[in-house]
Amino acid sequence: MFESYDLTGVFDEMFEAPGAPRPHYAPALERLSRLDATSFQRRRRMADVTFVNQGITFTVYSDKLNVERIFPFDLVPRIITAREWDIIERGLVQRITALNLFCKDIYHDQRILTDRVIDPALIYGAKMFRREMIGFPVPRDIYIHICGTDLVRGGDGQYYVLEDNGRTPSGVSYVLENRTVMKKVFPQLFDDYQVRAIEDYPLNLLNTLSHIAPRHADNPTIAILTPGIYNSAYFEHSFLARQMGIELVEGQDLLVENNFVYMRTTAGLRRVDVLYRRLDDDFLDPLSFRPDSLLGVPGLMNAYRMGNVSLANAVGTGVADDKAIYPFVPDMIRYYLKQEPILPNVPTYVCARDTDRKFVLENLDKLVVKATNESGGYGMLMGHQATQTEREKFAELIREDPRNYIAQPIVELSQHPSAIDEGGKLRFEGRRIDLRPYILSGDKVIVMPGGLTRVALRRGSLVVNSSQGGGSKDTWVLEE
Amino acid sequence: MDLMIPTEESALRRPLLSRVADSLYWMSRYVERAEHVARGLRITTNLLMDVGDLPDELYDRQWLSLLSLVGATLPDSPGDVGSRVTRTLSFDAGCNGSLVSSIANARENARAVRSEISAEMWETINAAYWTIRSDEARQKFEEQPEEFYTSIINVSMLFQGQTEETLPQSQRWMFVRLAKALERIDMTCRIVQARLDAFEEVEDALDAPLRTIQWMSTIRMCCGIEAYRRRFMADFDPLKVAGFIILEETFPRSIRFNVSEALDAISRIRKLTTPETIDPAERVLGRLDADLDYADLSEIARVGFREYLKSVQSRVHEAGVLVQQTYFLK
Repeated sequence: MFESYDLTGVFDEMFEAPGAPRPHYAPALERLSRLDATSFQRRRRMADVTFVNQGITFTVYSDKLNVERIFPFDLVPRIITAREWDIIERGLVQRITALNLFCKDIYHDQRILTDRVIDPALIYGAKMFRREMIGFPVPRDIYIHICGTDLVRGGDGQYYVLEDNGRTPSGVSYVLENRTVMKKVFPQLFDDYQVRAIEDYPLNLLNTLSHIAPRHADNPTIAILTPGIYNSAYFEHSFLARQMGIELVEGQDLLVENNFVYMRTTAGLRRVDVLYRRLDDDFLDPLSFRPDSLLGVPGLMNAYRMGNVSLANAVGTGVADDKAIYPFVPDMIRYYLKQEPILPNVPTYVCARDTDRKFVLENLDKLVVKATNESGGYGMLMGHQATQTEREKFAELIREDPRNYIAQPIVELSQHPSAIDEGGKLRFEGRRIDLRPYILSGDKVIVMPGGLTRVALRRGSLVVNSSQGGGSKDTWVLEE
Repeated sequence: MDLMIPTEESALRRPLLSRVADSLYWMSRYVERAEHVARGLRITTNLLMDVGDLPDELYDRQWLSLLSLVGATLPDSPGDVGSRVTRTLSFDAGCNGSLVSSIANARENARAVRSEISAEMWETINAAYWTIRSDEARQKFEEQPEEFYTSIINVSMLFQGQTEETLPQSQRWMFVRLAKALERIDMTCRIVQARLDAFEEVEDALDAPLRTIQWMSTIRMCCGIEAYRRRFMADFDPLKVAGFIILEETFPRSIRFNVSEALDAISRIRKLTTPETIDPAERVLGRLDADLDYADLSEIARVGFREYLKSVQSRVHEAGVLVQQTYFLK
């Protein structure tokens, strides 16, 4: 099924040259090559059935029918060597350390603005900058407790940071479930490798959350705050609650009295000390943010500011993952840590800068333009694929509100063999991938070995988001 | 930070969100409800094959009586009464209480408390949901209806067994158990009433074998034919059948048995939540339990089964409302 495999000229994770696998992929290639299409299909169905039965689905909203779909799972694992991972891990630890220092600085002394490393206008213009947080000491000075940082590999084989998700990154449940399913459908293949375990993530997450409990709470009650059953990530919220053995609460389950947060239980009110909230800042507290939010808890911000409840992630971390701030993360690393960044950014043009904007407007057909306050693959222009009209529309948008746009050269994401089924005929083809490792900042910084590898399953597509037809695969970090 | 291993005491006292208790309660009721409707359909299908030629009116009445199990009305669709009733009660998503809507409701509630129940329970109800919406289910319904109904009954049996075998006996389990018992009492009252609707007026006109068959199917619908035979052998005297369904102390589907189950569950819940008080639902169930303990079958017969069951039903309904007020609306 590898006979017609096309290297297409971009970085291929498995092959160095046609027919020549990279050494760490050789055993996997050998085993996969020995499989016939029928037996591969059987495993694939087995995996799909497992996802459906466990209810690992997300809901697609169309006209009338809400269809539940599984997140497409690609059975060919992505494998990362220990040496490569070591660099990634150090790079991510360095990055999250700087980002947390940045949040603290921005909401307190603002040295980085006074020293003109970052233009204050960029910060004050950030939609996610929360004035409510100024001067408020968050527990243990940690703002971003859970971070999902998206990495891509360019044509040069180098990993680049594409973006940091420092608000409520999702996908970690798929990482854990993908692993479980892989072990089930490919036990021998899994056995061929010494893969680093990821199963301690829930415990690490729980410890990270306990670490920020208010000091008055001896045996803190920790809960996950979910927007509810209709949220597309509901499975993940309930999965994590189950894995950690903590409550899964909705806004309607909570109330604030005398600046403490309580949940409504069959035995009356019960104090809650830590909330891992999977709700954006905007929806947290209708008294402080969007007054029309029915998902949040009135008075929660006051309880938070009084130190009576801890929130993970902290309110206001969106300022650190704003796409217009992202270009400055390497500067933050140099400024706060006096180190050179281990993982480079993708070169980025900030449209708020006159010279950058001029360049962007002249080169729209070669660039990817992104709205700074959007995520999930929305508000994007892929210059080379766009029509002239679309490009003109974006040029207009950029001129109107330059702060809201950045542009990057098109990163030729690396490709990885994926099992592609066309009309019942199965073969392996290269598909573009990225990688989202998860980083926990508590007592110490812990990077989950691996993370979510997302695949753009449409041929030639560079967009890996699940909302845009992406799938995922298991990611193996080798012991040595 | 070290993680504490909770003691047995604190594990039992672990708080239970009111919303979660509410969902567990309804999940359990819908599963139980689906089982009764499926059994009603199965027994009626089977019964009508046994009795041979009945007058049309009596034949239709057997089917129509089933609609009262869920308070549904006969839809305006083509076909004979039997197929309209079975189709509605099986697949009409708009009919509250149909198999497809009970399974969907049970699953919706289970999904909302996915982190509070076991994987086994969840996967059973989730798989049942996908199955009943599949073409295979329709096909089975057309070709082997009894087998289709049995598969639904087995979903409930499996789910309840898994509940017993996997869910710690904390408040969660007690709410599931309470709901199951309350639903079973209500459905049992409805079944006996429906059976009386089906043939009471014409009972005298039926010949002896037909009368026996009618009463046998009543006890069948309560899943008690074997237990009954072991107790009374083949004597299907109406008084004995009704007495068995209402008062049999050891039969897990009798009304008395389930009132005492519900009472036990609610009093344990109360002890874990508000130990110093008397729970209003517990009071209602406690009184009903005592009434049943000291009931006299001939007295019940004098009042009339229908009347007696109606009063049981309304007291159980009251208990249900009180449970919601006390625990879910906090």
